[in-house]
Amino acid sequence: MKNNYSRLKWVALIILGGILFFLSKSANAATTNIAYFQQQEISGVVQDQKGQSIPGVTITVKNTTRGTVTNLNGEYKITAPANGTLVFSYIGFKTLEIPIDGRSEINIQLEENIASLGEVKINAGYYRTTESERTGSIAKVTGEDIEMQPIVNPLQALQGRMAGVEITQRGGAPGMAPTIRIRGQNSLRDTRDDNGNLPLYIIDGVPINSAPVPSYTGVISGTGLDPLNTIGLSNIESIEILKDADATAIYGSRGANGVVLITTKRGYARETEVRVRLYSGAGQASRKMNVLNTREYLDIREQAFENDGVELTNSNAYDLLLWDNERYTDWQEKFFGGTSEILNMDLSVNGGNENTSFRLGVGYHKEGTVFTGDFDYQKATAALQVNHVSDNEKFHIDLSLNYGADTNNFLNSVNSSLVYLGVTLPPNAPPIFNTDGSLNWQDWDAGNRDNPFGGLYNTSEIYSNNLLANASFSYDLLKNLKFKTNLGYTDFGSNELIKMPKRSYNPENWGSITARSTHSAVERNSWLIEPQLIFNKQLGNSELDVIIGATFQQNTNSRLLMNGFGYSSEAQIGNLMVAEDVSVNNDASIDYKYNALFARIGYNWQHKLFVNLTGRRDGSSRFGPDKRFANFGAVGAAWIFSEEKFIKDALPVLSFGKLRGSYGTTGNDQIGDYGYLDAYESTLAPGGLIPVQLFNPDYSWEVNRKLEAALSLGFLEDKINTEVSWYRNRSSNQLVGFPLPATTGFNSIQANLPAEVQNTGWEVVLSSTNISNQDFKWNTSFNISFPRNKLISFPNIEETSYANTYRVGQPLNIDLLYSYAGIDSETGYFTVEDINEDGSFDYQDRVIERDRSRKFFGGMDNTLFYKNFSAQFLWEFVKQEGIDPYFLLGNLGNASNQEAGAINNGNGQVPSQSIQAQRAHGFASLSDLSTSDASFLRLKTISLGYNLSNNLLNGLGLKKGRLFVTGQNLITITPYEGLDPQEIGIYLPVLRTITAGLELTF
Amino acid sequence: MKSTIYKGNFILLMSIWIFASCESFVEVEIPNDKMVTETVFASEETAQSAMQGIYYELFNTGFSGGTTNSITVLGGLSADILEPISTNNTTLIQFQENEIFTENSGVLGIWNSAYNIIYLVNNLLEGIENSEGLSDSFKHRLEGEARFIRAFTYFYLVNLYENIPLVLSTDYDENSLISQAPESEIYEQIVLDLNRAREILTKDYLRDERFYANYYAATALMARVKLYQEQYSEAAILSSEVIDANDLYDLVNLDEVFLKNSQEAIWQISPAGRGNILTWTAEGSTFIGSSFSSIKLRPEFVGSFSQEDLRREKWIGSFLSETRDFDYVYKYKDRSSIDNITEYGMVLRLAEQYLIRAEARIGMGEFWAAIEDIDRIRERAGLNLISEANPDISPQELQNLIIEERRRELFAEWGHRWLDLKRLNIASEVLSSKSSGWEETDVLYPIPAQERSKNPNLEQNQGY
Repeated sequence: MKNNYSRLKWVALIILGGILFFLSKSANAATTNIAYFQQQEISGVVQDQKGQSIPGVTITVKNTTRGTVTNLNGEYKITAPANGTLVFSYIGFKTLEIPIDGRSEINIQLEENIASLGEVKINAGYYRTTESERTGSIAKVTGEDIEMQPIVNPLQALQGRMAGVEITQRGGAPGMAPTIRIRGQNSLRDTRDDNGNLPLYIIDGVPINSAPVPSYTGVISGTGLDPLNTIGLSNIESIEILKDADATAIYGSRGANGVVLITTKRGYARETEVRVRLYSGAGQASRKMNVLNTREYLDIREQAFENDGVELTNSNAYDLLLWDNERYTDWQEKFFGGTSEILNMDLSVNGGNENTSFRLGVGYHKEGTVFTGDFDYQKATAALQVNHVSDNEKFHIDLSLNYGADTNNFLNSVNSSLVYLGVTLPPNAPPIFNTDGSLNWQDWDAGNRDNPFGGLYNTSEIYSNNLLANASFSYDLLKNLKFKTNLGYTDFGSNELIKMPKRSYNPENWGSITARSTHSAVERNSWLIEPQLIFNKQLGNSELDVIIGATFQQNTNSRLLMNGFGYSSEAQIGNLMVAEDVSVNNDASIDYKYNALFARIGYNWQHKLFVNLTGRRDGSSRFGPDKRFANFGAVGAAWIFSEEKFIKDALPVLSFGKLRGSYGTTGNDQIGDYGYLDAYESTLAPGGLIPVQLFNPDYSWEVNRKLEAALSLGFLEDKINTEVSWYRNRSSNQLVGFPLPATTGFNSIQANLPAEVQNTGWEVVLSSTNISNQDFKWNTSFNISFPRNKLISFPNIEETSYANTYRVGQPLNIDLLYSYAGIDSETGYFTVEDINEDGSFDYQDRVIERDRSRKFFGGMDNTLFYKNFSAQFLWEFVKQEGIDPYFLLGNLGNASNQEAGAINNGNGQVPSQSIQAQRAHGFASLSDLSTSDASFLRLKTISLGYNLSNNLLNGLGLKKGRLFVTGQNLITITPYEGLDPQEIGIYLPVLRTITAGLELTF
Repeated sequence: MKSTIYKGNFILLMSIWIFASCESFVEVEIPNDKMVTETVFASEETAQSAMQGIYYELFNTGFSGGTTNSITVLGGLSADILEPISTNNTTLIQFQENEIFTENSGVLGIWNSAYNIIYLVNNLLEGIENSEGLSDSFKHRLEGEARFIRAFTYFYLVNLYENIPLVLSTDYDENSLISQAPESEIYEQIVLDLNRAREILTKDYLRDERFYANYYAATALMARVKLYQEQYSEAAILSSEVIDANDLYDLVNLDEVFLKNSQEAIWQISPAGRGNILTWTAEGSTFIGSSFSSIKLRPEFVGSFSQEDLRREKWIGSFLSETRDFDYVYKYKDRSSIDNITEYGMVLRLAEQYLIRAEARIGMGEFWAAIEDIDRIRERAGLNLISEANPDISPQELQNLIIEERRRELFAEWGHRWLDLKRLNIASEVLSSKSSGWEETDVLYPIPAQERSKNPNLEQNQGY
């Protein structure tokens, strides 16, 4: 430990020495070049090749942040040093760099250029690069693509748009946290409360705790709420996802699962501009399951009793004897057949001068639910960016504030799975309400069931607010050396109040229940300080970039859970003062501290050869005192071979060619806090203490080694661009809640396993400009990923508790299955093979491995422009296997409804409720018979737009105007018969929404 | 000028470096909802809290909590006492039909919760042993109570599963791959723990609360262990000791038996474990009839009471609605009050000690004394006395009568009937009429499949 430490100090000293060496050289340079050049005003007009003036072209003075924008007539004015260089850039045109050479008027014609890699700026976290020069694997989605979609969570916008990024959504209720996997599952821990597969999220330089916020509200409780919901989609400039070692190693112990960088929009030095964006529309559950109607259902039930030779009684055949046999209700329609109305409004103001610019964006979003009742989700967001640069351009301040607040009003049904009930309730189940409008308990009691709308009067209100603040100061100490510090603060709070009045419950139980309330509060605070030195130096043909910095971070995460009981009046529920009894079920505050030292050295030779070294030394309080520090690092390199003369001569058709590769290590410290402590916790009852876990002082980081190689090619002046990358990530030293037999007292312990998980894969990205002329443009981009996950080693797995969960050589996401052996001709029940013929069925007979991971997935995006019209179509596709819905529901013959295919295809087992039949159904569910193709092709987004013509704009005094219609999830093509192939199970399918709106810029 | 810039930067760099190297930065305080084990056992107040935690957990946890996961319910289903109301609950039906799958969640629940209690006890025993801040008398009390709870837990594990691992430490490396110990070894440990508890526990109850174990709780359990081992004279001596402590114990009115701290109670479990949320026993809420009841009494069992038996009237209730009609266990009267706690879950009570002594006395050939004991129970139940009605009863008839009295007195309490059928080897005779697929090996529950998949050294019981 001590040794490691001193070794690192040596490394640092060497880096330090190097920097000092350059410092001294640059100090020399600075003294000679210190003379200031005369500042002068330059003006001119910017036009396209046809001589049309272009408004909105950004003009900056090179190597400064000073800039301006052309007005409606394409004119500009800027102050710059006489020997400086002006940079003209505008989307869709080639960027031009023009030396001023003392001129006071410079008129420019910009050349059109659809896809130019060099222009696409990429945020790599601590530094920036461009699409053409990056050495790491970084995917980017722009704000335009994000705000176009009528969604709540920015991650949902990434579905289908990025290679290697898998995003699934469990249920279409607004606010529920989606799941994101960047290049597969690295950690064996994959449950809601113990998940080692979350990426690191950084918003404007500040890492945030993105773990879903626990909720006690029925429908949401499965996944929790995503704290990212409170970010305004319109305020996002871009989302970058860092995938390989070269890009993520600088995040050290938190980079193993990839890094998601969210950057918010900045202000521009231009005249004040106001943009308004409005849209509104409606959504519905995109699919329903085809279930039996009353006659079919009752036939099956009758057959079951007949087959079993069991006499019908009021208690075992209430649906046949007591409930109306003629009644039919489409329960799915009743439970989640509603329409969700969506309304969204955004307003932003943008402006500034050469020194200071700002952008203020405010937004409001409202969305109803498809569930019964008058409930909705609302959020309001505000974002402010202020950027300032001093007159001498040495001092920069960037301030970014993001604030968001949302409320989620929800039905808190007694039954947590309304969707499951919607599918399985017998179609002849009695009405929900009596004729007088009160809940009907009597008819349901007869069936020994609770009215499924029992919770109808239970309400849940979740209020969250989220403040993300970051201030970044930088000062040019010398010409080549900059000191920068990032100060970040985040404050997230969430309050949930669930009210449960007595009338929601069966009057028969009123003796034992009282009006109750649940109060849950989550508070997450963090602060961050990141001092950095940034050094940049041209050395003849080559260029060196160095960053060295440190991170200090502290998170406090607290939770309070209380229940109030015995309210005498319904109106007072929620006021703990009038509760007869209050119990506190959880009151905990967790501290997490994190400290690191990081460095990056980037070197390029003639912008042809690039080498990028990154490293980080990390310390985290999550680990035992002797295991707190570790080192991570990576090397990345790229060669733009298309710049070589011999390639240019031999392959003129090739406009761009790059080979790149990287290798390095990252870590994963996502594990519960304080797991190393041998500790007792307070019991619910007063005065008790109890140990709640086994402790292990020795556990340490998971290490993830990433290797990547990629080839990028551009043809026909970059009209066609493609990148093919291959990666191999190996996660070892797996940190898991290692399952233990109960004889140890508990079911698991935190420990590092000598297991290694490998994710390999190919990713292909292709973009092309198919047609581009004055009136018509057509661009296509396509991505496809072929991931392969594999447990490559696990010494002595047979002796561990994972023996029956994982198989060496197979993916983690497998099901071990029996081999289906057909229907027993005597009993009519399913049978499975008893492989070892020992007369019992256990894991030794479960020899079939079913891989549930995606075989391949991707998306295809087409954008078309014709004059003022535009259209975009995004298709998402996935190839995967799922579970036949027949086996997600109960045994045929039970008092619950079935998928219609269960009787129609005739290959199910005979209806029966005997134990043997239940058992056979259970075995078949765990056999290869239950496999069903769950691949799908989905029209994720379709958007049609019309840009108002210039004449009209001028008449209205507008700069820009646009009308649009967007459809989300309109078409899903799949052989899968369950609810939503995207997430196998009985969950609310994603919503199908259509919205229309307009966008105006003044 | 140049050198000052240079120096300034150097200092800056060095200060970053020094800050970054600050190892103490990543140290965090222990959060206020946790307490390190060492600190827990440094003072009597917190050590007592650790013991209290175990008592609370007995109420919260599966096997002892009195819910449908408890031995009380599952044992009653396995025997000929209880039945599930709904045919859909396969977990319960498997117990009732004596056709238990190794994946059954009830079987796993008993096992998990019992071994968790054993861990808590072992952890406490290690804690007080290593502690220096506790007085000897205090240590003794905690050790005695903890050993009693461990013996009590093992008693049920060994009777339900028979082939179980004997875990006496908290070392998870060792305990995760532990093998099963022979039944005799488990019993040796139970006897050892109970003897030690009897040595060091006092005869009075802490704070007069009968959910704390005392000397007599250990003695009463030991009497039962000796009866099961057919060591009749020891069983008789031990049960006599409890019966003779009449300043503490007495047979009370049938209505008052299950009240908290009743004179009949030797050891109870208090529902206080759930804080102030629950003020009633899980037995009360599980058994007392409603349209949501999942458990009822078997009609055959209810039919076995004679007309004049007061227990039929006092301890069995009837639920009648348009759609259902069944009899339920009505020993506990409170299923939902929101007032103060009135009842505790009964574990050991005096009536069982009379029945133990009666059976032991038959084994010793003291028939007349056995009749005296059985008559105490019959007298309270309003039945005629054997000493008057049938003084010439044959030893075999008397033995059968005691077994029947045990069934009717102790029904729906801690699986008494199920354990009686097994220890007396009459399970096949009694249960084959109830369960069509009855096999001899069904007297043992299976070792849970999940446990066997985690610990490959565990062998499955015969017949599974």
